[in-house]
Amino acid sequence: MRLLGNIGRRTGQRLLSSVPALLGVVVLTFMLMRVLPGDPAVFFASGPSAGQEEIDNLRREMGLDRPIPEQLARYLLDIARGNLGRSLTTGQSVLTDLRQRLPASLELTLSALVIALGLALPLGIAAALRPNSIVDHAVRFVCTVGVCVPTFVSGLLLIYVFYYLLGMAPDPTGRIDIFAANPPDITGFLLVDFLIAGDMEGFQAAASQLVLPAFTMALFVLAPLARMTRASMLAVLGSDFIRTARSLGLSRRRVILTYALRNALLPVITITGIVFSTMLGANVLVEKVFSWPGVASYALDALLASDYAPVQGFVLLMASIFVMVNLAVDILYGIADPRASMS
Amino acid sequence: MKFGRRQVLQGATGAFGLPALAREASAQSRAETLRQVTGNVINTLDPTMPGATRESFGLSMNVYDRLVSFGRKPVEGGMAFDHGAIRGELAERYEASPDGLRFTFHLRPDAKWHDGTPVTAEDVKWSLDRHVSARSLAAPQLSTGSLTKPEQFRIAGPMTVEVLLEKPDRLALSNLCVPYAFMINSKLAKRHATADDPWAQAWLKENTAGSGAYMVERFRPGEQVILRRNDNWKGGADGKLPFFRRVIAQTVPEAATRGNLIERGDADLSIDLQASDIPAMLQRGRVKVVSIPQTNGFTHIAMNTRMAPFDNVKVRQAIAAALPYQDMFQASIFGQGRPLFGADWVESPPDGDFPQPMPLSTDPAKAQRLLSEAGLPDGFETSFAFSAGLAATSEPMAALIKESLERIGIRVEIQKMPDAQFNTMQAEKKLAFFSDGATAWLPATDYYFRLYFTRDQRWNFSSFNDPEMNALTQKAQFERDPAEYERMARRMIAILAEKAPELLLWQPNHDAVMARNIEGYTYWFHRQVDFRDLRRV
Repeated sequence: MRLLGNIGRRTGQRLLSSVPALLGVVVLTFMLMRVLPGDPAVFFASGPSAGQEEIDNLRREMGLDRPIPEQLARYLLDIARGNLGRSLTTGQSVLTDLRQRLPASLELTLSALVIALGLALPLGIAAALRPNSIVDHAVRFVCTVGVCVPTFVSGLLLIYVFYYLLGMAPDPTGRIDIFAANPPDITGFLLVDFLIAGDMEGFQAAASQLVLPAFTMALFVLAPLARMTRASMLAVLGSDFIRTARSLGLSRRRVILTYALRNALLPVITITGIVFSTMLGANVLVEKVFSWPGVASYALDALLASDYAPVQGFVLLMASIFVMVNLAVDILYGIADPRASMS
Repeated sequence: MKFGRRQVLQGATGAFGLPALAREASAQSRAETLRQVTGNVINTLDPTMPGATRESFGLSMNVYDRLVSFGRKPVEGGMAFDHGAIRGELAERYEASPDGLRFTFHLRPDAKWHDGTPVTAEDVKWSLDRHVSARSLAAPQLSTGSLTKPEQFRIAGPMTVEVLLEKPDRLALSNLCVPYAFMINSKLAKRHATADDPWAQAWLKENTAGSGAYMVERFRPGEQVILRRNDNWKGGADGKLPFFRRVIAQTVPEAATRGNLIERGDADLSIDLQASDIPAMLQRGRVKVVSIPQTNGFTHIAMNTRMAPFDNVKVRQAIAAALPYQDMFQASIFGQGRPLFGADWVESPPDGDFPQPMPLSTDPAKAQRLLSEAGLPDGFETSFAFSAGLAATSEPMAALIKESLERIGIRVEIQKMPDAQFNTMQAEKKLAFFSDGATAWLPATDYYFRLYFTRDQRWNFSSFNDPEMNALTQKAQFERDPAEYERMARRMIAILAEKAPELLLWQPNHDAVMARNIEGYTYWFHRQVDFRDLRRV
């Protein structure tokens, strides 16, 4: 109970201390968007007959005719009220868009992360157990290939082979077959929603849509995870307590999984946190290739159109997620290694 | 969070553990469903909203009716719209008064809105009033046809509406065919109007109140739109219903994926594949490609006539003589289109149609001589700009321009700009020398020239200001004598050839890639798919 209270108090403190950082991010993105060349009013008033008057009207409507400090003050006030503005690209409020699209990105990123960890941990351990062996070299090769091939290349390649040539994968457009029915919108995570609705057929359909994009992303982040596992395992395997454990005649399995791996996990957790945050923001190419309706491709489209509100909203969302992930990583530290406290 | 009726129904069946039933209900016959994939998005259901994408215009044509519609005619490669043959759509028929000042529209007596209520003259009047009064993209467009104020629209009977003009504008009727002139169920829209928003603009962005051939079943901005056929539709050319009962328009950002989908037979149609992929697709023979020159558009090179050295007509003529048109045509669009260069007329074009091939040909010696006459025998330095969105076609073109101009001493720096930046610089007239595409919804010669070569406005790319051209475009708009109009049109084209503010290059093909059993594809002025034309055989 004390421990929980402790975690709660510290969590509160951490969240509070992240407010200035978030504020900084908001102000910075706000300024950055306005420094970039390209006027959203001109871009969006590009109908066949839109003239200067339409551009001015649009600018007035978006508040772009006011001085920048006033625009910033209004924007901050809007955020405080939970209003992130309206996207001209989709015509909806940014909050609605993000709320609809974030589950798609999270679902994809989390699945990719699970796949990546499921592959990287065994590979890393195997490599660490026999450094410089064939196994080690093979793992190094797989990792290098994974990190070298850009995701849009591996994505298109996977589509070409598994969809176009073999016809094994469903058509790579979005989260669910376009002709199939959607599950009730409960959490926004299709897999979870299908489970709640008890629709196993739908669950399977959604999962099969997820496989290719998730593997594409997992391949890309395999390298940092596997390499970090290997390095960290090597260091731990050479330490005194492992020698002691071995000399006491404990089973090999117990030595490696219980004693070595648990101690080696701290840096892996750190890197996993970082990898997760990067994936969420950087999976724009995967989202584009697989028509995944996620937040990253949304932000890219908005950026290309100089659509201020969605980009600012996206950056704020990413910053908040980063704060949460860091927090989660710190809590996981405490579980993996009780000596590491959360201060 | 908003729920459509459909989602709620699905939710309900799902909750009762009957998901298979829901799926069966939605799984209509695949053959009667058309699936279009596109790289772009539909961002509003009201096409007059600032920022509406071109795809939104296409959707609106299918969901709403207009009073009248352009016809269709066979052209090289397939079918295209015909702006010379205007037929009734929501109106059963129309009459023009002999002086051209009054149009009378007789509404279809059996026309119904999607909610089943009858279409009335009040609805039409309200819709037209909205398009000239509300702050939207419609008002400036309709003003090009002298439709500017509500007083011009009069209810002449329960099913009759009159449109009155002060001058016999040649484009008044055509303007009622464009996506902006859509007819709205005013009783339904008014229910969602507020004091701040008397024209229900906020509501119509996300909802529809039309009478068109299709109804919106689901609209997810930026992802997909699903349409269901309106079986009460009466506005077709022959009174027939469209073939497809259901249409899915889905956003698939990656062009290669769109191509794969169609080749595999999972999708039926795409109009925005990469031009470079199409020859390989044709070779594999699994799809059909309908290639029609974009008859109402042109790709051009513009020179800012108010910026040195392009303010000198000799410099512009020198560049016109220096460019390797045929090579550019091949390198940029693989010769897939209709050339607008290489004509051999001198003083005056053979007819008044526009765009038509211009007397542009490559003659480096002449270019060198003109440059000397301009007082720049050693050439000069300049930059050539294009937008990143058009890079696939503009980049090879730019390289050839740089190479050929270097031979006459003009040193060119190539500038590839992000679209938003390019558009901004273009609107602010800060670009000296650039390439872009242009289309006009209403392909009338005077309209092109008024839009692209007169006045201080955004689409006058070259900031051209020629007194004779200004006078001609103003006069031609109200000219009722066809012979006289033809004379003026030919003169406008001759001025363009002589003064060279812009060099017309070509009309690129509009490539629609589709399943082999799809028939009836028609190229429309808005460059989008009209689902009503299509059928599966």
